[in-house]
Amino acid sequence: MVHLSGEEKAAIATLWGKVNPDEIGGEALGRLLVVYPWTQRFFDSFGDLSSATAVMGNPKVKAHGKKVIDSFSNGLKHLDDLKGTFSSLSELHCDKLHVDPENFRLLGNEIVIVLALHLGKDFTPKVQAAFQKVVAGVANALAHKYH
Amino acid sequence: MLSAQERAHVTQVWDLIAGHEAHVGAELLLRLFTVYPSTKIYFRHLGTCPDEAQLQSHGQRMLAAVGVAVQRMDDLRAALSPLADLHAQVLRVDPANFPLLIQCFQVVLASHLQDEFTVEVQAAWDKFLTGVAVVLTEKYR
Repeated sequence: MVHLSGEEKAAIATLWGKVNPDEIGGEALGRLLVVYPWTQRFFDSFGDLSSATAVMGNPKVKAHGKKVIDSFSNGLKHLDDLKGTFSSLSELHCDKLHVDPENFRLLGNEIVIVLALHLGKDFTPKVQAAFQKVVAGVANALAHKYH
Repeated sequence: MLSAQERAHVTQVWDLIAGHEAHVGAELLLRLFTVYPSTKIYFRHLGTCPDEAQLQSHGQRMLAAVGVAVQRMDDLRAALSPLADLHAQVLRVDPANFPLLIQCFQVVLASHLQDEFTVEVQAAWDKFLTGVAVVLTEKYR
Protein backbone atom coordinates (compact mmCIF):
# COMPACT_ATOMS: atom_id res chain seq x y z
CA MET A 1 0.00 0.00 0.00
CA VAL A 2 1.42 3.39 -1.01
CA HIS A 3 0.76 6.22 1.44
CA LEU A 4 0.20 9.42 -0.48
CA SER A 5 -1.21 12.66 0.89
CA GLY A 6 -4.17 14.29 -0.84
CA GLU A 7 -1.73 16.86 -2.23
CA GLU A 8 0.49 14.11 -3.66
CA LYS A 9 -2.44 12.27 -5.26
CA ALA A 10 -3.64 15.50 -6.86
CA ALA A 11 -0.15 16.28 -8.19
CA ILE A 12 0.18 12.82 -9.70
CA ALA A 13 -3.23 13.01 -11.39
CA THR A 14 -2.57 16.50 -12.79
CA LEU A 15 0.91 15.80 -14.09
CA TRP A 16 0.14 12.35 -15.47
CA GLY A 17 -2.46 14.11 -17.56
CA LYS A 18 0.22 16.39 -19.02
CA VAL A 19 2.39 13.65 -20.49
CA ASN A 20 1.82 11.19 -23.32
CA PRO A 21 1.99 7.78 -21.63
CA ASP A 22 2.72 6.07 -24.94
CA GLU A 23 5.96 8.00 -25.33
CA ILE A 24 7.00 7.74 -21.69
CA GLY A 25 7.06 3.94 -21.72
CA GLY A 26 9.27 3.43 -24.76
CA GLU A 27 11.57 6.24 -23.66
CA ALA A 28 11.98 4.83 -20.14
CA LEU A 29 12.53 1.25 -21.30
CA GLY A 30 14.97 2.40 -23.97
CA ARG A 31 16.97 4.40 -21.44
CA LEU A 32 17.05 1.39 -19.09
CA LEU A 33 18.53 -0.77 -21.86
CA VAL A 34 21.16 1.84 -22.80
CA VAL A 35 22.20 3.15 -19.38
CA TYR A 36 22.23 -0.36 -17.84
CA PRO A 37 23.12 -2.58 -20.82
CA TRP A 38 23.03 -5.79 -18.79
CA THR A 39 19.24 -5.40 -18.66
CA GLN A 40 19.26 -6.36 -22.35
CA ARG A 41 19.62 -9.96 -21.18
CA PHE A 42 15.82 -10.22 -20.99
CA PHE A 43 15.23 -9.01 -24.53
CA ASP A 44 17.16 -11.34 -26.85
CA SER A 45 14.20 -11.50 -29.21
CA PHE A 46 13.98 -7.72 -29.65
CA GLY A 47 16.42 -7.48 -32.55
CA ASP A 48 18.89 -4.63 -32.92
CA LEU A 49 19.96 -3.20 -29.55
CA SER A 50 23.53 -2.55 -30.69
CA SER A 51 23.60 1.24 -30.19
CA ALA A 52 21.69 3.93 -28.31
CA THR A 53 20.05 5.01 -31.57
CA ALA A 54 19.06 1.42 -32.39
CA VAL A 55 17.55 0.89 -28.94
CA MET A 56 15.59 4.15 -28.82
CA GLY A 57 14.22 3.56 -32.32
CA ASN A 58 13.52 -0.15 -31.89
CA PRO A 59 9.79 -0.80 -32.50
CA LYS A 60 9.71 -3.76 -30.09
CA VAL A 61 11.18 -1.58 -27.35
CA LYS A 62 8.51 1.05 -27.99
CA ALA A 63 5.74 -1.54 -28.07
CA HIS A 64 6.89 -3.19 -24.86
CA GLY A 65 7.38 0.20 -23.24
CA LYS A 66 3.77 1.04 -24.05
CA LYS A 67 2.61 -2.24 -22.50
CA VAL A 68 4.58 -1.50 -19.34
CA ILE A 69 3.25 2.04 -19.01
CA ASP A 70 -0.36 0.95 -19.63
CA SER A 71 0.06 -1.41 -16.72
CA PHE A 72 1.64 1.36 -14.66
CA SER A 73 -1.27 3.71 -15.53
CA ASN A 74 -3.63 1.04 -14.28
CA GLY A 75 -1.62 0.88 -11.08
CA LEU A 76 -2.15 4.62 -10.61
CA LYS A 77 -5.88 3.92 -10.38
CA HIS A 78 -5.37 1.27 -7.70
CA LEU A 79 -2.80 2.77 -5.36
CA ASP A 80 -4.64 1.26 -2.38
CA ASP A 81 -4.11 -2.27 -3.63
CA LEU A 82 -0.98 -2.48 -5.75
CA LYS A 83 -0.17 -5.99 -4.55
CA GLY A 84 -3.57 -7.25 -5.72
CA THR A 85 -3.40 -5.29 -8.97
CA PHE A 86 0.02 -6.65 -9.91
CA SER A 87 -0.39 -10.15 -8.45
CA SER A 88 -0.58 -12.12 -11.69
CA LEU A 89 2.07 -9.95 -13.36
CA SER A 90 4.32 -10.68 -10.39
CA GLU A 91 3.85 -14.41 -10.85
CA LEU A 92 4.54 -14.06 -14.59
CA HIS A 93 7.79 -12.13 -14.03
CA CYS A 94 9.00 -14.72 -11.51
CA ASP A 95 7.85 -18.01 -12.98
CA LYS A 96 7.99 -17.40 -16.72
CA LEU A 97 10.17 -14.35 -17.37
CA HIS A 98 12.68 -14.86 -14.52
CA VAL A 99 13.34 -11.15 -14.13
CA ASP A 100 15.46 -9.97 -11.19
CA PRO A 101 13.19 -7.59 -9.20
CA GLU A 102 16.05 -5.10 -9.04
CA ASN A 103 15.09 -4.31 -12.64
CA PHE A 104 11.67 -3.04 -11.50
CA ARG A 105 13.41 -0.49 -9.28
CA LEU A 106 15.76 0.57 -12.08
CA LEU A 107 12.87 0.94 -14.57
CA GLY A 108 10.86 2.89 -11.99
CA ASN A 109 13.75 5.33 -11.68
CA GLU A 110 13.90 5.68 -15.47
CA ILE A 111 10.17 6.51 -15.56
CA VAL A 112 10.84 9.25 -12.99
CA ILE A 113 13.75 10.65 -15.03
CA VAL A 114 11.67 10.69 -18.24
CA LEU A 115 8.84 12.46 -16.40
CA ALA A 116 11.37 15.06 -15.16
CA LEU A 117 12.60 15.54 -18.72
CA HIS A 118 9.09 16.17 -20.05
CA LEU A 119 7.71 18.21 -17.15
CA GLY A 120 10.79 20.37 -16.46
CA LYS A 121 10.17 22.91 -13.69
CA ASP A 122 6.77 21.36 -12.92
CA PHE A 123 8.62 18.26 -11.66
CA THR A 124 9.31 19.78 -8.26
CA PRO A 125 10.98 17.87 -5.40
CA LYS A 126 7.55 17.15 -3.88
CA VAL A 127 6.21 15.84 -7.18
CA GLN A 128 9.33 13.70 -7.60
CA ALA A 129 8.80 12.34 -4.08
CA ALA A 130 5.21 11.38 -4.90
CA PHE A 131 6.15 9.58 -8.12
CA GLN A 132 9.13 7.85 -6.49
CA LYS A 133 6.73 6.50 -3.84
CA VAL A 134 4.48 5.17 -6.59
CA VAL A 135 7.24 3.50 -8.62
CA ALA A 136 8.65 1.96 -5.44
CA GLY A 137 5.19 0.64 -4.59
CA VAL A 138 4.75 -0.85 -8.05
CA ALA A 139 8.23 -2.43 -7.92
CA ASN A 140 7.46 -3.99 -4.53
CA ALA A 141 4.08 -5.25 -5.80
CA LEU A 142 5.77 -6.85 -8.81
CA ALA A 143 8.28 -8.55 -6.54
CA HIS A 144 5.67 -9.64 -3.99
CA LYS A 145 4.85 -13.06 -5.46
CA TYR A 146 8.45 -14.13 -6.01
CA HIS A 147 9.42 -17.42 -4.46
CA MET B 1 36.63 3.85 -18.11
CA LEU B 2 34.76 6.67 -19.88
CA SER B 3 35.06 6.84 -23.66
CA ALA B 4 36.04 10.08 -25.36
CA GLN B 5 32.41 10.64 -26.34
CA GLU B 6 31.25 10.05 -22.74
CA ARG B 7 33.84 12.48 -21.41
CA ALA B 8 32.61 15.08 -23.89
CA HIS B 9 29.02 14.64 -22.63
CA VAL B 10 30.22 15.11 -19.04
CA THR B 11 32.26 18.24 -19.73
CA GLN B 12 29.59 19.81 -21.98
CA VAL B 13 26.93 19.47 -19.29
CA TRP B 14 29.38 20.64 -16.60
CA ASP B 15 29.98 23.83 -18.62
CA LEU B 16 26.27 24.58 -18.11
CA ILE B 17 26.45 23.93 -14.35
CA ALA B 18 29.70 25.82 -13.68
CA GLY B 19 28.98 29.12 -11.98
CA HIS B 20 25.66 27.79 -10.66
CA GLU B 21 27.03 25.23 -8.20
CA ALA B 22 25.16 26.75 -5.22
CA HIS B 23 21.73 26.68 -6.88
CA VAL B 24 22.15 23.28 -8.50
CA GLY B 25 23.60 21.88 -5.28
CA ALA B 26 20.73 23.31 -3.23
CA GLU B 27 18.15 21.75 -5.54
CA LEU B 28 20.02 18.44 -5.45
CA LEU B 29 19.98 18.37 -1.65
CA LEU B 30 16.36 19.49 -1.43
CA ARG B 31 15.35 16.64 -3.75
CA LEU B 32 17.45 14.17 -1.78
CA PHE B 33 15.88 15.17 1.54
CA THR B 34 12.34 15.34 0.14
CA VAL B 35 12.40 12.05 -1.78
CA TYR B 36 14.63 10.08 0.61
CA PRO B 37 14.13 11.58 4.10
CA SER B 38 16.40 9.02 5.76
CA THR B 39 19.40 10.70 4.08
CA LYS B 40 18.93 13.70 6.36
CA ILE B 41 20.63 11.80 9.16
CA TYR B 42 23.94 12.54 7.45
CA PHE B 43 23.27 16.28 7.41
CA ARG B 44 22.21 17.01 10.96
CA HIS B 45 24.50 20.05 11.01
CA LEU B 46 22.04 21.64 8.58
CA GLY B 47 19.22 21.37 11.12
CA THR B 48 15.87 19.60 10.88
CA CYS B 49 14.57 22.03 8.29
CA PRO B 50 17.49 23.48 6.33
CA ASP B 51 16.83 26.86 4.78
CA GLU B 52 17.84 27.96 1.30
CA ALA B 53 21.09 29.53 2.54
CA GLN B 54 22.19 26.33 4.25
CA LEU B 55 21.25 24.19 1.24
CA GLN B 56 23.17 26.51 -1.07
CA SER B 57 26.22 26.58 1.17
CA HIS B 58 26.47 22.81 1.43
CA GLY B 59 25.25 22.21 -2.10
CA GLN B 60 27.95 24.52 -3.43
CA ARG B 61 30.59 22.46 -1.63
CA MET B 62 29.28 19.18 -3.04
CA LEU B 63 29.03 20.48 -6.60
CA ALA B 64 32.49 22.01 -6.36
CA ALA B 65 33.79 18.52 -5.61
CA VAL B 66 31.92 17.20 -8.67
CA GLY B 67 33.66 19.95 -10.63
CA VAL B 68 37.03 18.70 -9.41
CA ALA B 69 36.06 15.21 -10.54
CA VAL B 70 35.08 16.54 -13.98
CA GLN B 71 38.47 18.27 -14.38
CA ARG B 72 40.36 15.16 -13.32
CA MET B 73 38.37 12.28 -14.78
CA ASP B 74 41.63 10.48 -15.62
CA ASP B 75 42.89 10.75 -12.09
CA LEU B 76 39.84 10.41 -9.84
CA ARG B 77 41.49 8.47 -7.02
CA ALA B 78 44.21 11.07 -6.52
CA ALA B 79 41.87 14.01 -7.07
CA LEU B 80 39.27 12.76 -4.55
CA SER B 81 41.64 11.13 -2.05
CA PRO B 82 41.06 13.66 0.76
CA LEU B 83 37.27 13.36 0.27
CA ALA B 84 37.55 9.58 0.23
CA ASP B 85 39.41 9.76 3.57
CA LEU B 86 36.71 12.05 4.96
CA HIS B 87 33.92 9.70 3.92
CA ALA B 88 35.72 6.63 5.27
CA GLN B 89 36.84 8.05 8.61
CA VAL B 90 34.37 10.77 9.51
CA LEU B 91 31.19 10.81 7.46
CA ARG B 92 30.79 7.05 6.95
CA VAL B 93 27.79 7.47 4.65
CA ASP B 94 26.37 4.02 3.94
CA PRO B 95 27.26 3.21 0.33
CA ALA B 96 23.59 2.40 -0.41
CA ASN B 97 22.88 6.14 -0.30
CA PHE B 98 25.04 7.11 -3.26
CA PRO B 99 22.61 5.68 -5.88
CA LEU B 100 19.87 7.77 -4.21
CA LEU B 101 21.94 10.94 -4.64
CA ILE B 102 22.75 9.95 -8.23
CA GLN B 103 19.04 9.46 -9.00
CA CYS B 104 18.33 12.98 -7.70
CA PHE B 105 21.25 14.34 -9.72
CA GLN B 106 19.83 12.77 -12.89
CA VAL B 107 16.41 14.27 -12.14
CA VAL B 108 17.99 17.73 -11.67
CA LEU B 109 19.75 17.38 -15.03
CA ALA B 110 16.66 15.98 -16.78
CA SER B 111 14.33 18.71 -15.53
CA HIS B 112 16.71 21.52 -16.50
CA LEU B 113 18.15 20.16 -19.76
CA GLN B 114 14.93 18.45 -20.94
CA ASP B 115 15.39 17.49 -24.62
CA GLU B 116 19.13 18.06 -24.33
CA PHE B 117 19.24 15.33 -21.69
CA THR B 118 19.60 12.63 -24.32
CA VAL B 119 20.04 8.97 -23.43
CA GLU B 120 23.75 9.30 -24.29
CA VAL B 121 24.15 12.21 -21.85
CA GLN B 122 22.27 10.31 -19.15
CA ALA B 123 24.39 7.19 -19.65
CA ALA B 124 27.64 9.18 -19.49
CA TRP B 125 26.64 11.00 -16.30
CA ASP B 126 25.39 7.81 -14.65
CA LYS B 127 28.72 6.12 -15.37
CA PHE B 128 30.72 9.18 -14.24
CA LEU B 129 28.81 9.75 -10.99
CA THR B 130 28.88 6.03 -10.17
CA GLY B 131 32.66 6.14 -10.66
CA VAL B 132 32.90 9.06 -8.24
CA ALA B 133 30.80 7.18 -5.67
CA VAL B 134 33.04 4.12 -6.00
CA VAL B 135 36.13 6.22 -5.31
CA LEU B 136 34.50 7.96 -2.33
CA THR B 137 33.64 4.62 -0.68
CA GLU B 138 36.74 2.67 -1.69
CA LYS B 139 38.66 3.24 1.55
CA TYR B 140 35.75 2.20 3.79
CA ARG B 141 37.46 -1.10 4.62
